[in-house]
Amino acid sequence: MMPGPIDVLVIGGGATGAGLLRDLARRGLHCLLVEKSDMGAGTSGRYHGLLHSGARYVAKDPLAARECMMENRVLRRIAPGCIEDTAGYFVATPDDPDDYADAFLAACSASDVPAEEVPVAQLLQREPALNRAIRRAFRVPDAALEPWQLIHANLADARARGSAAWAYHRVVAIERLDGHLLSVNVVDVRTGSVTRLAVGFIVAAAGAWAGQIAALAGVDLAMSPGKGTMLIYDQRMTDTVINRCHQPGDGDIMVPLHTVAILGTTEIHVDDPDDYEITREEVAGLVAEGAKLFPDLPRMRILRAYAGVRPLYQETGTPTGDDGRAISRAHAVIDHGARDGVDNLVSIVGGKVTTYRLMAEQTANVVSRKLGVSEPCTTADDILPGQELGHTYWLGHRLAEHEQAGGGDADLVCECEFVTRSMLDGFLDANWPCSLDDVRRGTRLGMGPCQGGFCAFRVAGIVAERIANGDGTPAAEGGQDTAALVDQALTDFIRERFKGSRPIASGRQLQELWMVSGIYSGVLGIDSLPPAQPPHLEGEESSRDPR
Amino acid sequence: MIHADVVVVGAGLSGLTAAIALAEAGATVQVFATGHAATHWSGGGLDIAGLPGVATPRAGLERLSRIAGHPCAILAADVPAALAWLQATVSPEGLTYLGDLDTPIQAVPTAIGGTRRAAILPAAQASAHNAWAPDERLVICGLAGFKDFWPAAIATSLRRPEVWGEGGRPGRVDAVTVELPGLAERHNLDALVLARRFDEPAWRDAALDAIARAVDAGGGARGPGRIALPAVLGLDDHATVLEAARRRLPLEPFEVPLVPPSVPGVRLFQALRAALRRNGGRIQLGAAVIRVDVERDRVVAVATAAAVREFRVRTDALVLATGGIAGGGLIAHADGRIEESVLDLPVDAPSVEHWLNRDPFEPAGHPLEAAGLRTDDELRPVRLGSHEALFENVRIVGSLLAGQRYLRERCGDGVAFTSGWRAAASLRPTEPVALVGPASGRHEGGHR
Ligand SMILES: Cc1cc2nc3c(=O)[nH]c(=O)nc-3n(C[C@H](O)[C@H](O)[C@H](O)COP(=O)(O)OP(=O)(O)OC[C@H]3O[C@@H](n4cnc5c(N)ncnc54)[C@H](O)[C@@H]3O)c2cc1C
Ligand SMILES: Cc1cc2nc3c(=O)[nH]c(=O)nc-3n(C[C@H](O)[C@H](O)[C@H](O)COP(=O)(O)OP(=O)(O)OC[C@H]3O[C@@H](n4cnc5c(N)ncnc54)[C@H](O)[C@@H]3O)c2cc1C
Repeated sequence: MMPGPIDVLVIGGGATGAGLLRDLARRGLHCLLVEKSDMGAGTSGRYHGLLHSGARYVAKDPLAARECMMENRVLRRIAPGCIEDTAGYFVATPDDPDDYADAFLAACSASDVPAEEVPVAQLLQREPALNRAIRRAFRVPDAALEPWQLIHANLADARARGSAAWAYHRVVAIERLDGHLLSVNVVDVRTGSVTRLAVGFIVAAAGAWAGQIAALAGVDLAMSPGKGTMLIYDQRMTDTVINRCHQPGDGDIMVPLHTVAILGTTEIHVDDPDDYEITREEVAGLVAEGAKLFPDLPRMRILRAYAGVRPLYQETGTPTGDDGRAISRAHAVIDHGARDGVDNLVSIVGGKVTTYRLMAEQTANVVSRKLGVSEPCTTADDILPGQELGHTYWLGHRLAEHEQAGGGDADLVCECEFVTRSMLDGFLDANWPCSLDDVRRGTRLGMGPCQGGFCAFRVAGIVAERIANGDGTPAAEGGQDTAALVDQALTDFIRERFKGSRPIASGRQLQELWMVSGIYSGVLGIDSLPPAQPPHLEGEESSRDPR
Repeated sequence: MIHADVVVVGAGLSGLTAAIALAEAGATVQVFATGHAATHWSGGGLDIAGLPGVATPRAGLERLSRIAGHPCAILAADVPAALAWLQATVSPEGLTYLGDLDTPIQAVPTAIGGTRRAAILPAAQASAHNAWAPDERLVICGLAGFKDFWPAAIATSLRRPEVWGEGGRPGRVDAVTVELPGLAERHNLDALVLARRFDEPAWRDAALDAIARAVDAGGGARGPGRIALPAVLGLDDHATVLEAARRRLPLEPFEVPLVPPSVPGVRLFQALRAALRRNGGRIQLGAAVIRVDVERDRVVAVATAAAVREFRVRTDALVLATGGIAGGGLIAHADGRIEESVLDLPVDAPSVEHWLNRDPFEPAGHPLEAAGLRTDDELRPVRLGSHEALFENVRIVGSLLAGQRYLRERCGDGVAFTSGWRAAASLRPTEPVALVGPASGRHEGGHR
């Protein structure tokens, strides 16, 4: 529970909300963040994983490019453990226009994005899976960025300064009296209990859901959510980020992330950020485009498809920063006082994970001004908690730690991603009650080639064991019994993983899916468990055999 | 060039059944397979027709045989003889299967604390299946450090009556965890490693005594009851281990099958392989069939790429036992085409937009599960929508056959061994020994 009154309520536990909570807490404000799901379960956990150098935007949005590079430098300093310094390349394939490549270096330098041309032969030696027909190659400081650690580090800093963050608390109602918001009702989605919070100020950092929050406050904010689909491959066919050197489009970037590589993306408008489907056509289109970079792609194995929803927003009129400087259209801080006559509500929409800190800073500046707080922003100065490594992340670190470790540390729960029993226990100690999907985000369990087929039920077993032994893992509040909890965890996890397998199911991945369903259904009898909560299945009727 | 009367492609239950039955009848048999089969993944029981709501395999079989296009419509009458033959074939190898078509189908516990319906089980699992007395206790016994069997989770779940369905259930479920000698320092124990330790007599006795003490200490030994253990009671010497467990433990033990590698499944594979060798058959794993030579409507030779060089065997008949999608016999391409991987035979399958349901737990199962090859009554592959055999000397067996949904109908094992047995019978008397000339054509497939 929160002691004392809440100066600012931050709605949304993505990168932006977490960054904002940290920023406000460092300015001496007493804040609470609420997130309807797990931290980072929104777009920040379903993005492409790229720490932008900005080079993707140099032609279309030079200001956004400049901001990306600025923040790229900042994040390397304050969050090195979240970054794998892969470097990135822009390559001109035979399908890309000459003039784009000709103008590329100049455009990069105009936005302060360091870029240099490298001999194609040299890059092909480094990345042999690349299309041999590429004609030019430019090196830029792109990198891979792990979102969940980043979010948790921001929250930890805020907590250390007296603020709080609640996962699984959804804002369901906002009480408004004329031009002022008085209180907010949040429901604990695990127990159904509702808490009424009196608040001084509200910031909606709810990404693609910002329109829904605004509506609760009686304000109209038209978001235009854009779904982007990505494909996870079972291997790193490249150790560096590879972009097509052209106007950004579908399927033109591959990002190596941990043990896998991710191809993206598409952009398709959706009406509801919680209701979208990934189609086989979309997957086929991505693979066809991706094959222009990596010709063998159609023969490589896709582990799963997933999608995130871009918090796109187009306001008529000129967006302004706190100091009146033009800010990039990539994101917008919306003061609902000036715009809608609600004096204690601000929304922050758009942007990138890469620029989350800058977005938070600009938002906190607006909030501070309105609250009469004069403390400056300090989030770019200090290294985030747990990030004081002095170097960036290295892919082999878990293997190295595993090889050194003895005792409980050597027991692997998830073989694909080297998740040990003690890592799992540590996560459960800190985060219980939580779902298997939270465990996945927190530890990468189930993210490797078997996609949880062999480890999901182990976690369920370990959780039940911990509850039975009473070691710090009480059954969930509200009297839900352990068995039902474990069933639910398992079936939810399988549903979630299946959702990502369905649009890409073919070849060896379908064979694997068949084996895993054989194990869970045939050997483990999952169908005999009492039905968990009904799934949320929208849209078309599933095809059934009349038999 | 080497010659075999019959080449069998696939080393699963169906292929090995066909191979053994042919070898017993005096044929020279060569089995090729890319790798291990569903035996290594599944629980080791023999599911014949355990579909929801039926009381015995016979009743289930009767129901499946009335579904047009179901393999059981062709095979049902042969199941009793094939089952008896299979039981007699593996028992000299120390593997006893209990039950027959009239054994009631009962819920038996699983390693996540669910149940599955079964009737015909290896002896080590069979006592799970006996009716429960109202005051009977079930003690779930885990092994410390073993991560694929969590007794507290299993017991908590099995205490719920709804998990057991209609039939009986134990009056009480307890959980204990035992430290087995010398394993405390071992990490990442897998089921096969444990099973091999149980094969060692001295260690086994000490381990069984430790289990007996833990069950006694937990009060489990008072009154009637049974002990559920993870399925690791020996591999090569399983019969001896099981016997020792029965003798040394205070309550009747039974094994619960685990996630792969499945020890009960490996035992079944080993017993079948031994029976094949006993009858003079040959088996080679790691040998993918890369080409089949065809003359008119006959297969005349099979080429594999086991080593660096291609290895070609001339043959009078081919049994295709490559499994469905799980086994690798069917390859589902991203563009929606489903390819039979050896002869490119026509596949009966739903169109790509209907492959999978949205809900993985939809009771009817995914439409794609029923995909497979169509045959005539002699199991020869046919053109879709006709009864015209495409190859006179080819037989299709096991989960490659269209029309079954083995995870819903629990019929995969029965279809596999009965079709293998039937294919052997059909190749034995009717196929004349072919006059084999030099191979004249490379088969490019395309019978659609
Ligand atoms: C396909 C795709 C690829 C991308 N790739 C990149 C990339 O490579 N690099 C990069 O830098 N950026 C990338 N982006 C952009 C970036 O991911 C997003 O802009 C960023 O994650 C937005 O963060 P956020 O915190 O504002 O929103 P979110 O992460 O979506 O957070 C909003 C949170 O609010 C919560 N919420 C909603 N309603 C409520 C409620 N009623 N009560 C409580 N909580 C609520 C949601 O659950 C959610 O967690 C990509 C975006 C997409 C869609
Ligand atoms: C995990 C799992 C759980 C199951 N659970 C149940 C259950 O509970 N109830 C039930 O009724 N059924 C179940 N089944 C189904 C049942 O096990 C199968 O239907 C049956 O065992 C199939 O045997 P098979 O011989 O036809 O094929 P498989 O066992 O699949 O064997 C196929 C063989 O063919 C080989 N092969 C494939 N392609 C080639 C090639 N091109 N060249 C050479 N060799 C090749 C493979 O290497 C393998 O050896 C399950 C299956 C699986 C995978």
